[in-house]
Amino acid sequence: MPVVSAFLVPGSPLPLLRPDNPPWSRLASGYRTAQRSLHMSRPDLILVYSTQWLAVLDELWQARPHLAGTHVDENWYEFGDLDYELRIDTELALACVEAAKQGGFSSKSVDYGGFPVDTGTIVANRFLNPRSDVPLAIAANNLYHGWDETFRIGEIAAGTATRLGRRTALVGVGGLSGSIFRDEIDIRNDGIASSDDDRWNRRMLSLLQRGDAAGARGAVPEFAREAKADMGFKHFAWLLGGLGGRLHGARIHAYGATWGAGAAVIEFKV
Amino acid sequence: MAHGEILAGFLAPHPPHLVYAENPPQNEPKSKGGWEQLRWAYERVRASIEELKPDVLLVHSPHWMTQLGHHFLAVPHLTGKSVDPIFPNLFRYTYDVRVDVELAEACHDEARSAGLVAKLMRNPRFRVDYGTITTLHLARPQWDLPIVGLSANNSPYYLSTEEGLGEMETLGNATRRAIERTGRRAVLLASVTMSHLHFREEPSVPEDMSHERPFSMDAYQWDMKMIELMRQGRMRKVFELLPQFIDETFAEFKAGSFTWMHAAMGYPEMPGRFYGYGNVIGTGNAVFEWNLARGRNAGVGRAHETRDGRRAPGYDDSRFAGTGAAEAHDWAGPGAPRVHAEPPWPPR
Repeated sequence: MPVVSAFLVPGSPLPLLRPDNPPWSRLASGYRTAQRSLHMSRPDLILVYSTQWLAVLDELWQARPHLAGTHVDENWYEFGDLDYELRIDTELALACVEAAKQGGFSSKSVDYGGFPVDTGTIVANRFLNPRSDVPLAIAANNLYHGWDETFRIGEIAAGTATRLGRRTALVGVGGLSGSIFRDEIDIRNDGIASSDDDRWNRRMLSLLQRGDAAGARGAVPEFAREAKADMGFKHFAWLLGGLGGRLHGARIHAYGATWGAGAAVIEFKV
Repeated sequence: MAHGEILAGFLAPHPPHLVYAENPPQNEPKSKGGWEQLRWAYERVRASIEELKPDVLLVHSPHWMTQLGHHFLAVPHLTGKSVDPIFPNLFRYTYDVRVDVELAEACHDEARSAGLVAKLMRNPRFRVDYGTITTLHLARPQWDLPIVGLSANNSPYYLSTEEGLGEMETLGNATRRAIERTGRRAVLLASVTMSHLHFREEPSVPEDMSHERPFSMDAYQWDMKMIELMRQGRMRKVFELLPQFIDETFAEFKAGSFTWMHAAMGYPEMPGRFYGYGNVIGTGNAVFEWNLARGRNAGVGRAHETRDGRRAPGYDDSRFAGTGAAEAHDWAGPGAPRVHAEPPWPPR
């Protein structure tokens, strides 16, 4: 079965923990719109790549069937706790490990109680899959993988899901411009840290909206450098790989700031 | 109130492999040993701390990386299970730690007074990072001393190395003032590795030492050069070379822990006691002690003026001049070793 829906979403916990704050409520609202779209696409798998799950040795895949607990973000703990419950499509995760190995990537599954699930994955699952009724497969962000490797891993993951007959929702979790305010702020006035960052974010969103895959791909190195894009915008590489390198346009459900950093909820046409 | 003091500072890296190799009851995975040279080095750390009898251990950890300012653990009692997200197969450790909240609050207040953004972490469900846990276990496995945990603000990565380390110096000075004001007898732990280039794959038996070696000759030579300077007590030279060392070996010193510790101690120009060196998946790890209490008692120190105008304790390093390796300036120029390895993506 094909990819039935695809999204790029922010991993900051702020819109989830304080959806009442106006700048963050827009992002929370966008997330809820994306949740409805995801639900309508009737996936039986959500394939997640989060920039906040860092790996350095191998490409890691979460394989523990059930993960639940309370996570406290290491930066934003004062805004509250993140309860989570994740169901994992273990069969698919293990198949992705093997497929990634065959693709030349040293890969491992992780299956440990108490494993520190990253904030981005928890936030995305809470918003997009609030009842945790759709199982996930989660891939780590290996810091040594660049654009091409990440694209290829997205391609391998989506291909494996298709081979196993899954209706797949692709979700890349990460931000846009990466600069944050480095001082305390009045959260009611949160906004993008600089007008240059804002321009860069809007340019990238416009390319995605138009479905200009080549243009977006071409702009990424400069976007990464000039706007300090979150992890070099690798989450987009992963998503684009999962979509076979093609874009057909996108809807921007929300664009805003999380303590100065750029954040957007984007749904891609598939 | 009694005037507090820093008794000693330790370079105390945190590879979780060392805890795994020791097989303490708190850690779930079990091993057949390994990395003995580093673990034996930590035996000397433990003996020294036992002798120093500090009131508190302060640890600065790169694995509690914060974006908005410098954070301090400020919950009196923290328990939980720390699973290393990178090496979950090696480190799943049940911890139980007491925090010196009064000192944490004093550090926080001093940091804010110095112009830094600082925060107190008061959420009792917070999971303590594995770098903090590993260093504390290796230094004091009894867990009988209260601690203060400091986060590593990402300023050296977000701004520039020099700007970021400048913030760490300010944080170190603030830490010293807090220790003095609260009357604590404190030991500092800088939880960082030296050269941080590493292999990408783990052997099927992680403790199979036949796989363990330096990542590269250049990284090893850099580590040895810096160690030799530390052994000689030529710390001013160490700090001159630090940005280049960080740049060329991807040294974890970039996170600021080493700078924080030496700034807090007043940059003592004194030889460190070298306890050992070893590689862990290719990274370079050294265990050192700068014992200020012993230096003061010996009375042979020559204070040098720190950037904040303070007179710091120290040995007269002229006794060590010319010993060991080549002059440091040989390494600062075009003849310095260069490490060519792929950095994490995106390139900085």
